[in-house]
Amino acid sequence: MLMPKKVKYRKQQRGRMTGKAWRGSELAFGDYALKVLEPGWITDRQIEASRVAMTRFIKRGGKIWIRLFPDKPVTKKPAETRMGKGKGAPDHWVAVVRPGKILFEMEGVTAQEAGEAMRLASHKLPLRTSFVKRQSAAH
Amino acid sequence: MATATKNNVSENNLLEAQPRTSGNKNDARRVRRDGKLPAVLYGAGKDALPVSLDPRQVSRILHSQTGHNTIFDLALNGGERTKAMIVDWQYEPIKGSLLHIDLKRIAIDQKLKVAVPIVLKGEAAGVKQQGGILEQIFREVEIECLPSDIPSSIEADVSELVFGMVLRVSDLPHDPKLKFLSDPNQPVAHIITVKEEVAATPEAVAADATATPAEPEVIKKGKQEVEGEEGAAPAAEKPEKAEKAEKKEKK
Repeated sequence: MLMPKKVKYRKQQRGRMTGKAWRGSELAFGDYALKVLEPGWITDRQIEASRVAMTRFIKRGGKIWIRLFPDKPVTKKPAETRMGKGKGAPDHWVAVVRPGKILFEMEGVTAQEAGEAMRLASHKLPLRTSFVKRQSAAH
Repeated sequence: MATATKNNVSENNLLEAQPRTSGNKNDARRVRRDGKLPAVLYGAGKDALPVSLDPRQVSRILHSQTGHNTIFDLALNGGERTKAMIVDWQYEPIKGSLLHIDLKRIAIDQKLKVAVPIVLKGEAAGVKQQGGILEQIFREVEIECLPSDIPSSIEADVSELVFGMVLRVSDLPHDPKLKFLSDPNQPVAHIITVKEEVAATPEAVAADATATPAEPEVIKKGKQEVEGEEGAAPAAEKPEKAEKAEKKEKK
């Protein structure tokens, strides 16, 4: 599971997710990509599940880039605990995404294969996504 | 190893522009609301001029064979014509519509720097025979040439590319009219291999599910060891305190 090696603070506040993803919204490495259309949090488990779904589908056929990293800790209080007594312990990690952010990129496969792999990956995510391809993608 | 395609400077392209008032982003938004595309024209030692264009005409140029390196006639208010080309463009991140473009006045007799796309041709031997994947690392090469000599693309033949071989900028076809400005050692494409994802056994899945992820190291300034020891002690005491609190509640 993806998580930072070092952090400055163990816990974070939730923050806001206004605006669009002006950075990281264009294809940088591959020919095909999955773009998110709404703001939200994507957990480390969801990223891993998407990656596994894509790599199993394309087998050894292509290369995948993961363009998001879960660097925000999410805390959780233990079950059946009364409120108060401070913030809970870090539970998992999430990546904050804004609309337009490219999540995954792919190269070395046909457009059909990439589309199907991205469809499988999108089913592991809690947000609406769209499949995008490079203008000059030959397949 | 590779060949370059010859460019055709499209001279019959005409882009009509209307000067607009230079202003803030609200003005640009008003231009977009009217179905126009805000742009700015500069270069050739003249003042920058904010203009508005028809986005469909700009899109047609960007999606043409010569792409953003197309040189066209820019007609200001249907009158004065200047040779220009698109040097920068911005897309809206979700819908992908054009937001703004930068146009540069072009002097036909002066050399200019442009980025030309690299097109890989042929099926690499590393893909066909060795089962690898062709990865293109560098997609546009920067060149210097006269506007009439700008190629629409630079084609590189990768049919001889195998594992361990790297196609570099120096391997691209060099035309005497073109001067390559990018680093000659810059890799353009190579053959890579990707490990297949092995389906996890049920035991491994169960182990992963139960395994508690280790917390990352917290960066602290000075006195790390002392704070670490102090930090560990209260953490150990906390569960006892919680238990005591629960007992009190039950009573």
